[in-house]
Amino acid sequence: MAVRKKNRSKPATEIVSVPDVEEVDAIEEVREAFEAPMLPVRAEPGPTFAGWVARRGLLAAIIFGVLLAPQFVDNVRENMISFALVYVVIGLSINILIGYAGQISLGHQAFVGVGAFTSAYIVSNSHLSFWIGLALAGLTGAGAALLLGLVALRLRGLYLALITLAYGFVAQNSIFNIPALTGGGAGAEAPRPAGFTGNMAFVYLCFIILAVLMYVDWRLVRSKVGRAIFAIRENELAAASFGINVTAYKLIAFVISGVFAGIGGSLFAHRSTVVVSADFNFALALTFVLMVVVGGLGSRVGVFIGSAFFALFPLIFNRFSKYTGLIGALLLLLTLTTFPGGIAQQIAPILRWFGGAPLRGHGKSQVIQSGGAGVRP
Amino acid sequence: MSVLEVRNLGIRFGGLQALAEVDIDVREWEIVGLIGPNGAGKTTFFNCVMGVYKPTTGTVQYRDEQVVGRPTHERVRLGIGRTFQNIGLVKVLPVMENMLIAQHAKARYGVLSGLLGLRASLEQEKVLKDNALEILDFMGLVDYRNAVVASLPYGLQKLTEIAAVLASDPEFLLLDEPTSGMSPEEAHAFGDLLLKLRTELNLTVLMIEHHVPLVVRVCDYVYCLNFGRLLAEGRPEEIRRHPEVVAAYLGEEHATA
Amino acid sequence: MKQFLVLGVINGAVYGLLATGLVLVYKGARVFNFAQAEFGTVAAFFAYWLIEKQHLPYWAGDLLAILGIAIVGFLVERLIVRPLFTAPRVTLLVATAGVALVLIQLQFIIVGANAVQIGPALRGIGVNILDVVVSPQRLLIFGVLVILGLGMGYFFSRTDLGLAVLATSQEPVATELAGIGTRRMSSFIWTFAAVLGGIAGVLLAPTGALFPGFMTITDLLPAFTAAVVGGITSLPGAFLGGLLIGITQGLGEFYFGSSTIVRGAANLLVFAVLVLVLLVRPKGLIGREA
Repeated sequence: MAVRKKNRSKPATEIVSVPDVEEVDAIEEVREAFEAPMLPVRAEPGPTFAGWVARRGLLAAIIFGVLLAPQFVDNVRENMISFALVYVVIGLSINILIGYAGQISLGHQAFVGVGAFTSAYIVSNSHLSFWIGLALAGLTGAGAALLLGLVALRLRGLYLALITLAYGFVAQNSIFNIPALTGGGAGAEAPRPAGFTGNMAFVYLCFIILAVLMYVDWRLVRSKVGRAIFAIRENELAAASFGINVTAYKLIAFVISGVFAGIGGSLFAHRSTVVVSADFNFALALTFVLMVVVGGLGSRVGVFIGSAFFALFPLIFNRFSKYTGLIGALLLLLTLTTFPGGIAQQIAPILRWFGGAPLRGHGKSQVIQSGGAGVRP
Repeated sequence: MSVLEVRNLGIRFGGLQALAEVDIDVREWEIVGLIGPNGAGKTTFFNCVMGVYKPTTGTVQYRDEQVVGRPTHERVRLGIGRTFQNIGLVKVLPVMENMLIAQHAKARYGVLSGLLGLRASLEQEKVLKDNALEILDFMGLVDYRNAVVASLPYGLQKLTEIAAVLASDPEFLLLDEPTSGMSPEEAHAFGDLLLKLRTELNLTVLMIEHHVPLVVRVCDYVYCLNFGRLLAEGRPEEIRRHPEVVAAYLGEEHATA
Repeated sequence: MKQFLVLGVINGAVYGLLATGLVLVYKGARVFNFAQAEFGTVAAFFAYWLIEKQHLPYWAGDLLAILGIAIVGFLVERLIVRPLFTAPRVTLLVATAGVALVLIQLQFIIVGANAVQIGPALRGIGVNILDVVVSPQRLLIFGVLVILGLGMGYFFSRTDLGLAVLATSQEPVATELAGIGTRRMSSFIWTFAAVLGGIAGVLLAPTGALFPGFMTITDLLPAFTAAVVGGITSLPGAFLGGLLIGITQGLGEFYFGSSTIVRGAANLLVFAVLVLVLLVRPKGLIGREA
């Protein structure tokens, strides 16, 4: 083995820096042979300086608008905003599992509920701080998701969907009804943390936590972790051939999703200050799924809009509350049958514009092509 | 010494004996061909070497290590790279993403560090990206780095897969029909590329290949499988004239080749 | 204990009927139909409206209700299943869950959240079976289900249409070549599955309160478990699986029903059976393709 390469990490440097006439010819030959079917690559000119200013300015204005919104609404509406933010946290959690990992979850309310009851118990029964409750909620949510992940190693597609559904049912009817832990039917109290008892303050607490989670989600996609999870979803065999530990990364996807769900559960509980098992029913699980599907699986922005929409829509149109559930379900069916990419697909041109591309009509964006109808067996 | 030493390999699927008593050696710096008619068990053999299937009998030794029973991803970390007949890339993602996925094992940072975006992970990501660009540049694919793999012509997808596998720094390559879907000119050019890669990167190669002129030109040694058993082995010219091989394989598909 | 067993068998027959509908759809479309139990609930509400509000005779109300749900099943196939013919199966699965949600929401809008009651089809004193008093309605359920089970056995093994349905599910391409349209079969399969759900719904309706989504809440999970226990592709297996699950639930209720520590022990037991069967013997316990 004396002839092994000296510099293993940068083979290309060696090649390019020590060209041999004869060998360069070989490469040229390959290039020419493959040139024939090559498509011309259109170089997109980037936006002008003014274009960048406009894009960044508008983006900043939107973000500030959202952040300042609680300042201009009444007390009741503040509470609605925090509700929407909690849903977005849960939406991000589901998106990791369904959108990134391609594992269907119809029992996500179980993870959210585990987090909610954990946090409530820690604060009300153990008299510890909200922050410890929040952390432990993330931990127990991860534990609950890990259990399901172990099952998912054996089962996939429809069977996994069935198990998750059953898991949710059992969690709601049995586990969340153990009186010693959850207060039984009466529910558990979950007071808000000191300093955040007001509705306005709680909104900003949600904003902070959501910002942290969105950062983690962003890094997830841009690191080897997210790439491994994508690769496993699309082609398990190829993923393993690139040295990815398929078993470990499947479980990691469940755990990360579980942490997000648990944290979402904790916020869910402390926002309403009391939590009962009936909160975590099957209809809620379906709402969670349909808000990410309608928002656009795999797209962070789409999930944000979809989740916030499904949280706010019944509250804002409460005069038509009879119909909001129906409209949501119909939107889901419409999305699945006509626009599998959801809201993200619809707003793709705008998102691309923010990224520096000229504003053009519809077309599939990168996001859709990678996430797309990521619900697959 | 042998890079790959397979002894008495056999695998059964239910009532079907897919492979039996297969002995194959690949020595340092060799390009070895594995040929045989469709359904002869060539890809199954690859899957046994990579740990996708667990063989019923026999041993697989890679350099000094017995690898039977070890999961695929661990075998890859020993320095084995593999390509697939139908392209082992994530086709819905851009070329660049695939180049990064391929370097998974080289990314030296923890999961938590990646999720929190700690500096170690960001620096590593930059190294991986630079490395990917270098290899893409070398392979003449750098213009396609942002193109979704599925949108590329088939030949380029094949080339991209090779680029991705090279990015993972392999010492030993298993290529599954690298020239399928290529024109004769492309296949010829591919042969030159392979020879060059071997010289430059010190690669040892075992490849499944149907394209006989390519096998004769680049391979140092050839094994022929038929119905899961070794039919013949030898130098390419010998194999090409071997009566049983001609009857079983060349006879039906490449009589005029 | 006997009481729980007898009740378990009767509940099990209902699960079995729903499970056969699930198996049928699975064979035809390779998807789990999460709307199967809602076909039953909707039919039960149809029957309630026709019998209690329109004062139709019992048999007419039930028949019309089943006809109504058949139309719903047909429409679901046309509007949802067909556009997703080539979509990934899990997408279709989410769509069936969406159908269930739409149906439940419609019930909330039209009927409201309050539970309603429907009178029993048969009045009279209960019959004594194994020292357990069983109401005539429950006996009727069991009787109808047994007859229906035998009828389906005949239909799928002796009639051309029945055999054609099974053929589509096993060899779609070959069936297409043999001149049987898989798309037309798809309509038939979903309609038929809706009818099976509907029959379960109208039979079950008089035994308890009707509220939106009631069959999804109480019967869907046991029915799925029954189908899985039966091997998901076997019609007789699904029916037997239903009985098995019903009895399991009855026993669970008997042994753990009064536990104050864990509620819903019977359902917990069903869940345990589901997980165990899927992990240990995914082919099902009594399954055989038929």
